[in-house]
Amino acid sequence: MELKLAWRLFKRELSQGQLLLIILAITLAVLSVTGLASVSERLQLAINGQASKFIAADRIINSPKEIDPAVLAIADDIGLARVTSMQFNSMVYAGDEFQLVTIRAVEQGYPLKGNIELSSGVAQGLPSADNIWFETRLGGLLGYPPQIEIGNANFSLSNEIIRLPDAGFNPFASSPVVLMRIEDVGKTQVIQPGSRVTYLYQFAGDGAKLDAFEVQAKPLLNTSQRWVDVQSGDSPIASAVKRAERFLLLASLLGIALACAAIGIAAQRYCQRHYDVVAMLKTFGASAKQIRILFGTHLLLVTALGVVLGLIGGFGLDRLITAFLPVEIAAYSPPISRPILLGISTGFISAFMFSAYPLMRLLSIPPLRVLQGHLEGLQLGMWLHLLLSLSAMALLGYLYSQSLPLTLTVVAAVLLLGTLLSVLGFFMIRLGHSVGMKTTNPLQLALAGLRRRARQNAVQLVGFSSALVLLLTIFALRQDILNEWQKQLPENAPNYFLVNIAPEETAAIADFLKPHVDAPAVIYPVIRGRLSAINDEPLISSEQKKAGDEGRVGISRELNLTYRDSMPDNNEIISGQFNQDTFDVSVESGVAERLELALGDTLTYTIDNQSLTVKVASIRAVHWETLQPNFFMIFTKEALAPFAYTSMSSFHLEESQRSVILSLIKQFPTVSIIDVGAMVKQLRQIIDQVSLSLTLVLVLVLLASALVMIAQTEAGMASRQRELAVLRTFGASGWLLRAATGLEFALLGTIAGVLAVIVAEFTLYLLKTQVFELNVYMHWPWWGIAPLSGGLVVALLGLWRCRQLLNKSCSELLKAH
Amino acid sequence: MTILNGINMDVKQGESVAILGPSGSGKSTLLGLLAALDSPSQGSILLDGVPLETLNEESKAALRKKKVSFIFQSFMLVDTLNALENVMLPAELAGIANAKEKSQAMLQRVGLSHRLNHFPNQLSGGEQQRVAIARAFICEPKVLFADEPTGNLDSANSDKIADMLFELNRESDTTLVLVTHDMILASRCQRQFIMDSGNLSEKYSEKTSEPVSETLAEKPNENAESEQADIAVNKEASSWS
Repeated sequence: MELKLAWRLFKRELSQGQLLLIILAITLAVLSVTGLASVSERLQLAINGQASKFIAADRIINSPKEIDPAVLAIADDIGLARVTSMQFNSMVYAGDEFQLVTIRAVEQGYPLKGNIELSSGVAQGLPSADNIWFETRLGGLLGYPPQIEIGNANFSLSNEIIRLPDAGFNPFASSPVVLMRIEDVGKTQVIQPGSRVTYLYQFAGDGAKLDAFEVQAKPLLNTSQRWVDVQSGDSPIASAVKRAERFLLLASLLGIALACAAIGIAAQRYCQRHYDVVAMLKTFGASAKQIRILFGTHLLLVTALGVVLGLIGGFGLDRLITAFLPVEIAAYSPPISRPILLGISTGFISAFMFSAYPLMRLLSIPPLRVLQGHLEGLQLGMWLHLLLSLSAMALLGYLYSQSLPLTLTVVAAVLLLGTLLSVLGFFMIRLGHSVGMKTTNPLQLALAGLRRRARQNAVQLVGFSSALVLLLTIFALRQDILNEWQKQLPENAPNYFLVNIAPEETAAIADFLKPHVDAPAVIYPVIRGRLSAINDEPLISSEQKKAGDEGRVGISRELNLTYRDSMPDNNEIISGQFNQDTFDVSVESGVAERLELALGDTLTYTIDNQSLTVKVASIRAVHWETLQPNFFMIFTKEALAPFAYTSMSSFHLEESQRSVILSLIKQFPTVSIIDVGAMVKQLRQIIDQVSLSLTLVLVLVLLASALVMIAQTEAGMASRQRELAVLRTFGASGWLLRAATGLEFALLGTIAGVLAVIVAEFTLYLLKTQVFELNVYMHWPWWGIAPLSGGLVVALLGLWRCRQLLNKSCSELLKAH
Repeated sequence: MTILNGINMDVKQGESVAILGPSGSGKSTLLGLLAALDSPSQGSILLDGVPLETLNEESKAALRKKKVSFIFQSFMLVDTLNALENVMLPAELAGIANAKEKSQAMLQRVGLSHRLNHFPNQLSGGEQQRVAIARAFICEPKVLFADEPTGNLDSANSDKIADMLFELNRESDTTLVLVTHDMILASRCQRQFIMDSGNLSEKYSEKTSEPVSETLAEKPNENAESEQADIAVNKEASSWS
């Protein structure tokens, strides 16, 4: 019976538009979650798909020994494609010439993702037996011989490699690469017990299979075996992908929070509207259980409709955005189960947890309200409401982002807003006592109105200011991230690196490049050295540390050291001063932190069997994502003068100037050229895609904000109508009432603006320091713009909402009341 | 604060009783107590032999469902339900079979068979109160409480509503307790009580020619336990704070 009643009430209220606001709020929450989740999954799939071309696979297991066949069996069972390859260094001989090379021995099927670019175009297949493909510069170094020797075998040189898909981005990888078939490795007999070989097991397949593989295979790996996916590299792509993903997450999270606020407000209104119905039902003898079932079902129906509409809208949104995306991204179709599940759980969790407190109050409405209309149910206190709302938000946030720092940031922002509002509410009630209700001054009327409706206003402020906070936060973050990316990848970002430049070639190369590049290429000398002691205490390896040895753990490999007269442009001094004395060194902040270095510490290096001791004079922040040569340690020229060096440089060339590279190769055959153009292009594409989604998120947040604000102005309409009736009766002019109403809303909007700026700056501080690694700064213009525009927008909204009341005649107002 | 003081009354099955008095005299408070919507701080009330003070909220609701009904000054119809659905509401809550057919018949009885699907805002005040009357009688209550049932109506409509109320009251042998400050309406009841500053006194009734002018508190409470008594109140003081 209750179910039938609930259905009837739902049907009627729906057709009369009474449920519009709450359904709209739920729909919006579900829509944004479903839509954004599926768009971001599609983007992520596309980004990872494209980025995986850079590792020529989706996952790699990197191992110094052959891997347990059980792991490969798992991959085969799951149905992943896989190839095995070996990588090792060896000498190659061509007559009297010899050269150390890096040999990649690969299996049929390589590469799983991406292509091998040869000088003759994209490679089809692999070198045939007894043939090798070689990196262009090897030809230059060896004088293009027809055959080379590797160990005990002879190979023909057939094709020149321009780029291997998984060559990676390491300008310091100095030996040229040779590609051969894995079957040919045996003939060379260079692999002996104890040889240093890296086995690379590359896997490709769809997301679910890869996840399953990761779960099953990862536990079987030992500590010397490394699991690599597109994001575990320190490539610029990986960091761009990560940041973009986090932003999308955050934006959707804030979108959810806002939609939740809308649901919260709408739920409160929804419950208040049913106070009389509950009192009446109780009067006619409805039991508590009957009422619980009735309204539980009613809310369930409301939520279900909102969820269904939201899911439809979400997929519509996904379709819409997909239509705007480039074909190669749109072609990826992520599984829809996660967006659907997320949407459904968001709808139900938010609707029920945000309605829990208003619903409890609704159910406790005493029947006596039918005779004494002012009676309300139990007052459990706002803390319970806040607690429930906060846990709903945290739960949803975590469910969606699975990131604790993001979730906690949102919760912290909500808490700060809550605290500010309670303080403000307290003062609004305390300080406003002296304000009377003179019917001549609109400002006084407005102030009096603010104070009288202090409680409703507090609720309204929650809505207004949270809408503004989210708008400001998302807007600023989007701007910052786009700027940061722009900074990283300016139009003339270097797309070629030159390494292994001999000292005597330096000047010639600079002259060669001069007519072709806009800015003179900066040439960095590179000297390899090992850090051996800090403050005269020898460093130990991590193995020694594990074995229980005392001392600081050093860096296990040789570092690339450079010298410069001034700081590189894209570096920033964090502390100290850039090298002033001969034996000063400037240290990158990450390394300084890892080695626990402080200004004034002395570092001892071993370079060419000599030792060099320098003093830490400055600590520098380096943007590793920039495609510039970056260094951990920068010395003075005088300090490094005694050591042999080679140089490296980077420069930007237009696509059309490829011929310059070919003549560069001819003229300087021993210089290694690394082409990162493809990577830069890729990075740009990713950034463009993400910018689009960021803008979209901003639009959604704007929509949600508008909804919250409209929901807000509806609260308090009844008391406003009573008051207007009284004021009208006592002769207040239409102008006065309009001015007072407008001013009251404007004041509210202004206060909301100030609160929003405070909370937004705080949220941005947390986000930038804890999640995004961006520079923190204050947004001073906001402190003026937000309150002003808040006041204006809220005043206009308020007047618009009240326009009917304000236009009514005195008798109409009284009658309606 | 003491709102009701030394009240002692009993109402028999089928009687119509009016409680008159100025605003704020405590009429509605008394009505709330008699109808088991509220609890007195002292004293006892028997409704159809059941002492209300022994009941918790749930049992009171169950009692109301079975035996009591209401008519309010502001009609208290559910805005979003149509006339028929409003009348069906208490019947459905009480699990009465054929709620729809009964409600249709009831609405026909109050002359609204052509307005079944109209919503409250599409009905005049008089029509809304007729819907409320139909709703009040649908469960065949033993006692009907009416709080200013004609308070929001013009005189022509008031008369119609009053006629209908008393007619149904007689037909169904329902006890009627009516709170009003309309003397004419009150005069149509068999007995009239006057509430003044929390004190209740019965007015001389022409119909029964029973000279009752002293406060009921002075009368022996002989019917308090009687089965015929529908409502009995023995109340030294009822406090409300």
